[in-house]
Amino acid sequence: MTAQNPPDQLVALGRAIARPPVVAGVAQHSPMAGLERRTVGFVDVLAQSIGAVAPAAGTATVPALIAAQAGSGLLVAVAAAWLLAICVAATLNQFALRIAAPGSLYTFTSKGLGSGPGFAAASGLLVGYGFIAMFGVVGAAYFLQSFVGVLAGPTAAAPWVTAVLLVGVGAVCFGVLRRGIRLSARVTLVIELTSLVVILALLAIVLSRLDAAQLAAPFTHPLPSIGGLVAGTAVALTAFVGFESAASLGREAARPFLTVPRTIRWTVLGVGAVYLLSAYTQLAGAGAFGIGFDGGQAVARLASDTDVAAVGTVLDLGLAASFTACAIASLTALARAVFSLGREGVLPRAMSRIEPLRKTPYRALALVVPVTVAVPLVLHAIGWSPWQSLEFLIVVSAAGYITAYVLATAALPAFLRRIGESSRRTDLVAGVAAVGLAGVLITYLVVMVPGEPVAVAVVGGLATLAALAYVYVRRTRSRGLARVGLFDHTTSSDLLGGS
Amino acid sequence: MSQAGRDPGLTGRQPGAVHGALSVLEEVARVGPGVTAQQISAALGLPRATTYRLLNLLVQDEYLVRLPDLAGFALGRKVALLAGLAVQATPEGVHDILLEVRRRVRGGVHLASYREGVLELVDVDPDFPLSDERRLLSDLTSSALGRLLLAERRGAPVPYVAVPNGPMPGHGCFAAAIRDPHGALVAGLALALPTQRLGDPEALLELTAADRPRLATALC
Repeated sequence: MTAQNPPDQLVALGRAIARPPVVAGVAQHSPMAGLERRTVGFVDVLAQSIGAVAPAAGTATVPALIAAQAGSGLLVAVAAAWLLAICVAATLNQFALRIAAPGSLYTFTSKGLGSGPGFAAASGLLVGYGFIAMFGVVGAAYFLQSFVGVLAGPTAAAPWVTAVLLVGVGAVCFGVLRRGIRLSARVTLVIELTSLVVILALLAIVLSRLDAAQLAAPFTHPLPSIGGLVAGTAVALTAFVGFESAASLGREAARPFLTVPRTIRWTVLGVGAVYLLSAYTQLAGAGAFGIGFDGGQAVARLASDTDVAAVGTVLDLGLAASFTACAIASLTALARAVFSLGREGVLPRAMSRIEPLRKTPYRALALVVPVTVAVPLVLHAIGWSPWQSLEFLIVVSAAGYITAYVLATAALPAFLRRIGESSRRTDLVAGVAAVGLAGVLITYLVVMVPGEPVAVAVVGGLATLAALAYVYVRRTRSRGLARVGLFDHTTSSDLLGGS
Repeated sequence: MSQAGRDPGLTGRQPGAVHGALSVLEEVARVGPGVTAQQISAALGLPRATTYRLLNLLVQDEYLVRLPDLAGFALGRKVALLAGLAVQATPEGVHDILLEVRRRVRGGVHLASYREGVLELVDVDPDFPLSDERRLLSDLTSSALGRLLLAERRGAPVPYVAVPNGPMPGHGCFAAAIRDPHGALVAGLALALPTQRLGDPEALLELTAADRPRLATALC
């Protein structure tokens, strides 16, 4: 019997429907019980990933950061990062097709490589989501302040305003997150799409004012050195991180094995296209108008130079919203990772408490949101400018994220072999992704030493802290460590004839 | 078997995928919970990549579920929607014979198969729905059709079983064995009747005496 010769009578199937078989080893409850199950629709899952990537904020700020490394190789760097992100997405999707887990990448890692690497991936994920959430809070406050400045004049530039805005953004995030996943996802999507439309319109305006020679200019630049390109690729990759965060809604998503992989695929493809267009426009526009990439407001300045200053002001508001969305989405994923670690017993069990009515992990939120506001406040207090903070936060976050990516992609071949579903193609793609990412991570940290020595030192410090935490957890919470890898498995109600 | 059957490029969008998906579901049902992707691929002679893709599609649509070990598969809740597809087509001729019997008998006339020693309903009288089909299939002692099979399993075959008091008050059922030429039990013809008409089972046996050999032939 083959696919071309179907059974004309589904005898066994008919019998199974009439008398569903007893299935051993399927429990009535999932270890992730408490969070809503299988209710969040595709659009909301998509919103989670798009929000975490925050393409609007990324489009406006990251090309400047990439150009600092890759110079005129900006386009090549963005394209290379896009390709790498596609490989990572394809690899992570092999997990997402099979496992629904609030712990997302660290749970995946533990399924292939065991609890030690799983713990390392969890540390990377917490740092990645945590610092990107802080990045979102700082960015939102920064652009809000810039917007308020236009309305209220120089008073708005006072340091206390920054502090108030930081706390305010944090409070908004907490309120939205506590209300439940659907509200936060919807808010995120609306914000993100609106700001993206504004930015795309702006890019179109800029492009429409360029002549043919200026439009061709970005392709005639000589390529920079390989080192610069790799560094640029590494920075460009940071603009993609977050696309995988839909996986943290594994339990909450309706039809998770369909919606989560689809979200991850679409997000990477769509976001990459927008980045390429944006990088190209900024390169062509900057050449034409003689503007350098600095201060992270290249898009706004391009707008001002094309006599659409008003749009630039609206853009501030849009970017503030986009950064807020980024914070909300990152906190969503972060809270679920903390929740999952609590359920396993790696973190205190209290972290896995769920608010019964809203079904949100409120204890985890009550831990992570204050920390996310406190760190930016400290940076502000020691006199760092918002832009300085943003650059610092993104470096630490990227190191955390990419560490988790490397571990999860490296875990895939072992996982597929264990369940007897390995193939040469998935092994190859996972290998390319893991090796590429490891190279990017190392290059990135090395390249960042001169510009961001504090960030690289903090990454080293956090890695040491994670290693110490591992030793501590192994001593005092070994049972929790042994439980790493819990996920939202099939329950008896999912089975034919189940209840 | 066309070449396409071995083509690893088969995607979920191609028409062959529907056949493949049904074959995979049937195989999971046949082998039972816990069957792995490798076993399914080997049993169906499907390329492994195609098997994985079909399995993942069926899991996405919740016709299949992965067991907690992540390697084994079981039928999902949604398979119940395929009940119409999976009901065995009644063999040619059987339905006509049953129509004749139903015209003659003032009561419910149901046909069950005992193929492979399992009770399966082949044709239920549309005018007299079963009171509890689930119980009839799961508890063999609850019905005349089930007791007929139980007697056979115990090695003490009987020509008929009468149950004067069924789940519906004042009603019961009678089931007569249908045997192939070698005497093996292949099916059961059940009559659902008011209790007072079940007093003379020999007469009921006689009532369908001519029909049962014809049904045996039509069923084989």
